[in-house]
Amino acid sequence: MENNQTRSEVIVVTSGKGGVGKTTTVANLSTSLARMGYKVAVMDLDIGLKKLDLILGLENRVIYDIVQVIEGECTLKQALVKDKRFPGLCMLPAAQTRNKDDITPEQVQTLCESLKQEFDYIFIDCPAGIEQGFKNSIAAADKAIVVTNPEVSAVRDADRIIGMLESAQYKDIHLLVNRIQNDMIKSGNMLSIEDLTQHLCINLLGIVPEDRNVIISTNKGEPIILNERSQAAQAFNNIAQRITGRDVPFLELDDHSFWSKLRGLGRNLLPAK
Amino acid sequence: MLTFIKNVFKQDQHSSRRQANDRLRVVLAHDRAGTSAELMDTIKEEIIQVIAKHIEIAGNPEVNFIREGRHSALDISIPIKGR
Repeated sequence: MENNQTRSEVIVVTSGKGGVGKTTTVANLSTSLARMGYKVAVMDLDIGLKKLDLILGLENRVIYDIVQVIEGECTLKQALVKDKRFPGLCMLPAAQTRNKDDITPEQVQTLCESLKQEFDYIFIDCPAGIEQGFKNSIAAADKAIVVTNPEVSAVRDADRIIGMLESAQYKDIHLLVNRIQNDMIKSGNMLSIEDLTQHLCINLLGIVPEDRNVIISTNKGEPIILNERSQAAQAFNNIAQRITGRDVPFLELDDHSFWSKLRGLGRNLLPAK
Repeated sequence: MLTFIKNVFKQDQHSSRRQANDRLRVVLAHDRAGTSAELMDTIKEEIIQVIAKHIEIAGNPEVNFIREGRHSALDISIPIKGR
């Protein structure tokens, strides 16, 4: 196990707007880190609208949920679902029939303190919005990853979230741009990475290209990082490396043009080494 | 050839990316300051009025909303008439 981590880190993945890829990000970064040998816990705080179990393909293994842990119906250990494909990865499921007001920021902090005893990284899947669920999610976080898409609505919400994190004295805030389409940027029909970093003025952690494989993986309940040919998988693996402190260059994006497709075809036809 | 270059230039001027950037610049500046466009217009007008009440203004006074990193600022430039 290549563990050069000295103290464990709580990372919240947030966005303001829904549907930009928070849960997909949590699922893929956590599995990628677990595959590297780190001990990783994921906590779904989207109480009432849980998704992380489904994206990770662990929906049939859930027995207890986070509210039951907090209310003392079961222990934290009993509620943690172990992912059999990735030793070292555990998920604390959200409750589906309760709501965000059933837990408090202090309770989340207490849970994270216990998880820190055993895990290197603790990811928190934050619900959309800026209400109680957001406040619960950021309470224990050491680092925040703000996920956005190259669309005006997602950027506006990301800006609001960054503002709220800054006024709550958070310093370690990073940007993850999801669903970039290089051909659209080139034709002047999509906000570029530079546009987004200029508007939002925070450190860029990663760029994930639009990739149809994500939908296919989600259908199967498998993390995309297992698909070697997927660009999104490469991007998520790179981001996971950056989280561990390694300096990994940003991905060169495919522009889906005729020539790049031809080049891709050539690559695929060549025998694997 | 010239029309081709013109078209490329025109596309950039009116590209949806550019429009998105322009609209975001305005909306984020107002979101951050917690103001609306109308309120900003009122503030601009009143600032100029207050100055004009005490000293004579020359030329075009300007009050603009600008951004410095993640913070918004008022950039006020009011030329004063010399004696």
